[in-house]
Parts: sequence; C-alpha cells; structure tokens
Amino acid sequence: MTRSVSVKTDPMQIAELKAELERLHSASFGWALSCCRRDQTEAEEVLQTVYLKILEGKARFGGESSLKTWLFAVIRKTAATEYRRRLLRSFRLTGDPEEMVERFAINESQSAGFERSELQGHFQGAMKSLPRRQREALHLVFYEDLSLREAADVMGVSIGSARQHYERGKKRLRESLATMELGYDINWRRAGNPSAV
Amino acid sequence: MTSIGEEQEIRALFSELKLADEQTAPGFTAVWHRAQARSLRPRRAFNLSFAVATGLLVCALATLAFWSTRSQPVAPAAASAVMSAEASTFAPRADKSSTVAGTAELPQYIRPLVKNRVHRLVAPRHAQEIAASQQLTKEAKAIASWQSPTSDLLSSPSDGLFKSLPQLNENANELKSFLPNRENDKEK
Repeated sequence: MTRSVSVKTDPMQIAELKAELERLHSASFGWALSCCRRDQTEAEEVLQTVYLKILEGKARFGGESSLKTWLFAVIRKTAATEYRRRLLRSFRLTGDPEEMVERFAINESQSAGFERSELQGHFQGAMKSLPRRQREALHLVFYEDLSLREAADVMGVSIGSARQHYERGKKRLRESLATMELGYDINWRRAGNPSAV
Repeated sequence: MTSIGEEQEIRALFSELKLADEQTAPGFTAVWHRAQARSLRPRRAFNLSFAVATGLLVCALATLAFWSTRSQPVAPAAASAVMSAEASTFAPRADKSSTVAGTAELPQYIRPLVKNRVHRLVAPRHAQEIAASQQLTKEAKAIASWQSPTSDLLSSPSDGLFKSLPQLNENANELKSFLPNRENDKEK
C-alpha cells in the first residue's frame, strides 16, 4: 500500500519562500557544514531534508523571528536528528563502536578538502576541538554575521548563555591559535638556523 | 597581539572559510529539485518499526490475557483442596491453627472470581501449600500401610503355641508338650 505525499503548504507561499531560500542558500550551506562537522555530503543531505520539510509543511515559518534565524534553527535540528540516525545505523551495521568512530574520522578527513593554508587547517582543527555550543556561537557571529540575540535564537538558548558560549569559545580559539603561532615561530627559527635546538 | 587584532584575525579566518565554502556549495536549484522529487516520491505505508511495536504489544496483551485466565481457576481448586485436606484424618505438619485459618479463608476462595490483584497473587501460593499438605498425607498413608518384605520369614507354624496359654482342663499328654523335656536337657 502506497500513498503520495502532497505539498501541504500554499504554492504562493512556497514560491516566495523559495526565492528567500535561494538568497540564503550559501549561508545555509555554510551553517549546515558547521552542524555536520564539515562533512559536505551530509551537509547537502541535511539541506535537502530541510527543503523537503518546508515543502511538506512540516517546518513552517511563523514569522516570530527573522527567516534566516528560523531557517538556521531548522537546519540545526535536522542536522542533529540526521547525525543521531546515522550514528544509530552505523552502530546497527557494524556493531563495533571503534570501527564506526574510525569510519567517521575517515569521512571527516576526506570531506575536509579545504585546507588551502596551514593556518586555515589549524584553525579548522581548533574549531573542531571546541565544544559544540561554543563552535556554533562563533560560527553564527563571525561567519554568518548574526547578532548574539539572533545566535541565541538559532541555538535555542538564552542570550546570556549564548554570550557565555561565545566568549569562552573565542578565548579557547585564541589560545589554540596562539599556541599554533608559537609553534610556527619555533619551526621558522629552526628552519632558519638548523643548529638551534 | 591585541584583543581587537585577534578578533579581526578570527574574522579573517572565518571569511576565508566562507569564501571557500561558497565555491564548493551545491547549486540551490539542484538541491531544491531533489527535495521536490523526494516529496513527490510515493512513500511506503508499511513502517517496519511500527509493525514490530504493534506485534510486541499484541504479544504482551495475549500473554497478560492468558495469564489472567489461568490464574483465576486456581482459587476454586485451592478451596476444594483445602476441604479434602481437612476431611482426611491424618494431617502431618498441619497444626490446628493453620487448619482453622484454612477454613476461615475458605469462603473467600469459594466466592466467585474476585478479580483483585492481591487475590490473584495469593491464590497460587495457597494452592502450593495445599498441594504440599496433600502430598504429605499421601506419604503418611503409605508409611502407615508399609510392610517389610521379610516379615513372612518371621512367622512359623508354632506361633500359635507361643502366643497362647494352656487351659486347665487339658489332658496330661497335651500338657506335657508345654513342659521341658528333661531327658533332652540331661543329654545336653
């Protein structure tokens, strides 16, 4: 027995929404990438699922916040659900958690194709090492140019909490980058003077 | 490095990342069309997890129903067992108080199908106790009627003489049989 899923949202609304979604597409993809630990395939799938939810009327924009904030919140939730589902599926298929973690690591390294500079690579590494909330706060503020209030809305936390995540994240990222720069400095000096220990 | 400088550096790193992401981002139209195709795709109405959950629920209900129907007849059976136990004259280990308690509980058992949970939990235990007392009765009866397999060897034709006394009006010859044989004693 089969049934076809009809588009529950008004076509006019969908057309308007489509134009807005198109405008926000690259920002949405960036946010999806961040939510999917920079896995491009997964991010694309998440974005597709989000559009599907909008088409089916499962995700409806109520107008309480800006469209961008609402869309990012939907992306965040969908990414979390998809991640849980994938994790569960992997557990079921492999039955070995270590093997699964390994597979995820391989996937991540393959997907992280963008490493133009060593600095960018280290920056991404430092971002990955941050707790999820801190990473999200930094991404939303620096990458998406959202205010802390909007970031809090997307993350589903209070503004105070979002500010705390943002400050702590920034501090930790700064420390990581400073350590990295120090390492670079030492390496540079060694390269310049091989006899120096 | 000042705090503002560091923030600018972070911002620069993020904008570099953003530029790279924009280059690798899939086209909106492609993603949108794929989502549309997925929404129009006929979906399976049969949900495996739902079916499994329903099956488990049905099994649980069936087990519950079976258990409840099996546990209910135990009460009348237990009552009859108590009655038979009382009727028997030999009741080992069953002291007077327990028998009295058993008779006091009797009307409760006979009362038709009291469907409270406590009763259902207690009834099997009573049935077990009664079954145990019945078993003991049987065993006691068996012990009482037990005969040694070698008991026939202990009986002899002269058992009558040993177990009876001579009468006064018997003649001398007959009395002699009770007297010890003196000659034989001397020979010995």
